[in-house]
Amino acid sequence: MKYDQSRIRNFCIIAHIDHGKSTLADRILEKTGVMQLRDMTDQVLDSMELERERGITIKSKAVRMPYKAKDGTEYELNLIDTPGHVDFTYEVSRALAACEGAVLVVDASQGIEAQTLANVYMALDHDLEIRPVINKIDLPSAQPEVVKQEIEDEIGIDCEGCPLVSAKQGVGIEDVLEDIVNNIPAPRDDIDAPLQALIFDSYYDNYRGAISSVRVKAGSVKVGDRIRMMAGKCEFDVTEVGAYLPLGYSPRESLNAGEVGYIAASIKDIADIRVGDTITLATNPAAEPLPGYKPVLPMVYCGIYPADGADYESLRDALEKLRLNDAALSYEPETSVALGYGFRCGFLGLLHMEIIQQRLEREFDLDLVTTAPSVVYKVIKTDGETVMIDNPTNLPPVQEIDWMEEPMVDAQVITPQDYVGAIMELCQDKRGTFRDMKYIEGGRVLLKYDLPLNEVIYDFFDQLKSRTRGYASFDYELKGYERSDLVKLDMLLNGEQCDALSIIVHRDRAYPRGRSIAEKLKEAIPRQLFEIPIQAAIGGKVIARETVKALRKDVLAKCYGGDISRKKKLLEKQKEGKKRMRQVGSVSVPSEAFMAVLKMD
Amino acid sequence: MKLLSLYLHVPFCAKKCAYCDFASYHGRGTDWRRYFDEIATEIRLWSKETDFGLISETYRVRSLFIGGGTPTLVDANHIEKMIDACRGIAPFEDDVEITIEGNPGTLTPEKLAIYRRAGVNRLSLGAQSFDDGLLQSLGRIHTAAQIGQAVGMARDAGFDNINLDLMYALPEQGMDQWRDTLDAAIDLGVEHLSAYSLIVEPGTPMAARVASGTAIVPDDDAVNAMQRAAIDRLTVAGYRRYEISNYAKPGYECRHNLVYWNRGDYLGLGCAAHSLLGGHRFHNPDALDEYLSGGRRLDDTVLTPQDAMEETLMLSTRTVRGLDLAAWERAYGTPFARGRERALNAFERAGLVETGGGFLRLTTRGMEVQDAVVLELMGEM
Repeated sequence: MKYDQSRIRNFCIIAHIDHGKSTLADRILEKTGVMQLRDMTDQVLDSMELERERGITIKSKAVRMPYKAKDGTEYELNLIDTPGHVDFTYEVSRALAACEGAVLVVDASQGIEAQTLANVYMALDHDLEIRPVINKIDLPSAQPEVVKQEIEDEIGIDCEGCPLVSAKQGVGIEDVLEDIVNNIPAPRDDIDAPLQALIFDSYYDNYRGAISSVRVKAGSVKVGDRIRMMAGKCEFDVTEVGAYLPLGYSPRESLNAGEVGYIAASIKDIADIRVGDTITLATNPAAEPLPGYKPVLPMVYCGIYPADGADYESLRDALEKLRLNDAALSYEPETSVALGYGFRCGFLGLLHMEIIQQRLEREFDLDLVTTAPSVVYKVIKTDGETVMIDNPTNLPPVQEIDWMEEPMVDAQVITPQDYVGAIMELCQDKRGTFRDMKYIEGGRVLLKYDLPLNEVIYDFFDQLKSRTRGYASFDYELKGYERSDLVKLDMLLNGEQCDALSIIVHRDRAYPRGRSIAEKLKEAIPRQLFEIPIQAAIGGKVIARETVKALRKDVLAKCYGGDISRKKKLLEKQKEGKKRMRQVGSVSVPSEAFMAVLKMD
Repeated sequence: MKLLSLYLHVPFCAKKCAYCDFASYHGRGTDWRRYFDEIATEIRLWSKETDFGLISETYRVRSLFIGGGTPTLVDANHIEKMIDACRGIAPFEDDVEITIEGNPGTLTPEKLAIYRRAGVNRLSLGAQSFDDGLLQSLGRIHTAAQIGQAVGMARDAGFDNINLDLMYALPEQGMDQWRDTLDAAIDLGVEHLSAYSLIVEPGTPMAARVASGTAIVPDDDAVNAMQRAAIDRLTVAGYRRYEISNYAKPGYECRHNLVYWNRGDYLGLGCAAHSLLGGHRFHNPDALDEYLSGGRRLDDTVLTPQDAMEETLMLSTRTVRGLDLAAWERAYGTPFARGRERALNAFERAGLVETGGGFLRLTTRGMEVQDAVVLELMGEM
């Protein structure tokens, strides 16, 4: 197809989790013929093992599809897949900047959910044309008319004639494609201007080197061009440009204004490609880079250590690789007396943290020990200096602290009416301040609370889920810092402080948390040759105590007829088990113990 | 001249016990002859030139142990022939210790007379308990009364070195019952007692009972209390504990078992028999059929100094004599305490180990947790 901007449509699909975004994407790929039916697996675009398993999208991906409309016009569609979870809004915003329109998928029985709204607002921020699609009309509980009304009332988007589809059954897919080509605007980028290509993703390909996924906003780029990273300042020679197929590459002569695709330039170090940077030509550079993306700040930190100290280098390499295409991940080396050498890592939220841990374990085959997540506290010292603390171990001595502040979030919970009481109780428990309550469509209630982030990252999600049987949805954004009566809670094993187990908590919470952690540790630490006292302490004052009793009996009664192989095997097994433990003073602590403290009963 | 111990395995039983996962077969009487023919072949092989040289040129046999299974179940003539054949491997020492293991329910004066004639001078009986109810639930074929009768029969036949195996930590076994069993054994005046705590082996009927909750085994503290009761009562009665599970009147320590713990050379013959010979460890197949079809010397491993150190540590600390510190330094070129100062000090303070007379030994308390102590002392070894 000849390059013609008016025939290009760049769009993404946004939806609340489980509303059927990936299934719709699959059907679109099928309908446009870029994927043969026999090649189809569910969630084609979600190639990461974790994505398939959990049914979520973590990374942004782009794919180009030819589409011949009903009126015979041929189009080039670029679908940029985006993650749906609040933790990955950063990924979403990068993807949105590469589009002109967004297909908003809404479940015909569930209607608008918290994430639907969040995504819509973000799309509106990027001036995207939003095209609603009502999905899952095959469900017996589907109420497409009610949902359409809801969208018009709550979001103010006209739903007249919007496609009613069942992505699962393949109904109405062509309507979606027609709606896209007819209503999402074509890009109007200047092909004659100097090159400006927005990098919205990057990753490493063994054959092509580090690759940039780009949206060309001005000019064009072809093989042989010398390109310059405007923020990164480095230059490379282009070796290949092209579009993405669902399962591979489609090299082209050039990438032009309005198009989405990739640029390869034998870039060895992925760090040279910074997501959000603008690529231009060295010979004819653009005057200004494109506006960068909203920078993101990690909200949650935790220590990540290799279970086997010898894997430190591998862990560093793995983090480096993940950082390449996850700009929201931050890490820096730290050391712990108990855990040795590792990294302090920053995340957008708990799911992000969990995903990164799992990717490290699965994709890089690493065994990890992670510490309790912490938020960033603001400490105002008596000498007037303000320090930000993301690791409880680094908290200055009490006498140097004038006061401390903790991050607060604006939390909003959407729930069926029946659970309002339970949620209010939970938020109260979590030191929340009630802000607002509003009845919305479908007998549901929107509750707004101010909550300390450190309570949210503890076990808020689990509690919310169990108290509302999974019916409530939750969203939050950082609001700012508030002065708070915080203390550092230390854990002592056999009288020795274990740095990796320290946490910062509100004074009112310190007693129950200390007791709960001590109990958890008692269960997690196996009996040893000596009795092990476990103590929780604030500033040297013990507030809770448990004891791991000494091992009573551990001996094999008999070696049958000179066969010592059983005993040897047993010892080998115990030796292996011991290797996986950390020494805190004279106490062997299993890796799980460091995680056990995160769990509430 | 080096000393060698021989182990001969007889894998036949009248009935399999509920706790047993060892190589033993019941109802295979037709295989007995074939089996002893196979052992005879194996003995002949070891009597000729081997890759360890000609055994008879370098070794003298100091002990021979016929274990099972139930060696006293089979025709005693098989046993006699087998012992005689072993003289071909290497000459026996004058005071060689020859033990046969047996079940009290299978002994007759005739069998005992043949054993004596063959040179057997030690009898080890699987008594297990003097409580008939317990014996039945363990799946034993004999009664408490038969134990006494068997000991009497053996005395009449001239045996002056008799061992009884006893078990504790059994389901439904109370402390009183255990004391009664100890007393009954002491009353019989035997020279040697082994007191083993029950090991619930996976795959046995006992394991199934424990898993289903129909059998409840005593907790660790109760098991330790039973062991201590054994130590106390047997000491008073003139026995001395010389290994975790073994007690003897002075001079009646089982020389054969000491060889295992002191890592002397031993050669195992028959199915499932293990050997430590010339720095090699190897064993015959566990399965009778595999042995009968010629399977021999599996997993032959040349021990590294590292292996030897670990073995020395874990075996010698089972004995009351303990680990010979001078011998360790001679063998491995470094004092045992080096690099282990911290752990050893802590263990001494906690009353788990003690040093004296050039030996490091575990205390009574230390022996209760021997595996854990050994693991700590292995350290980075």
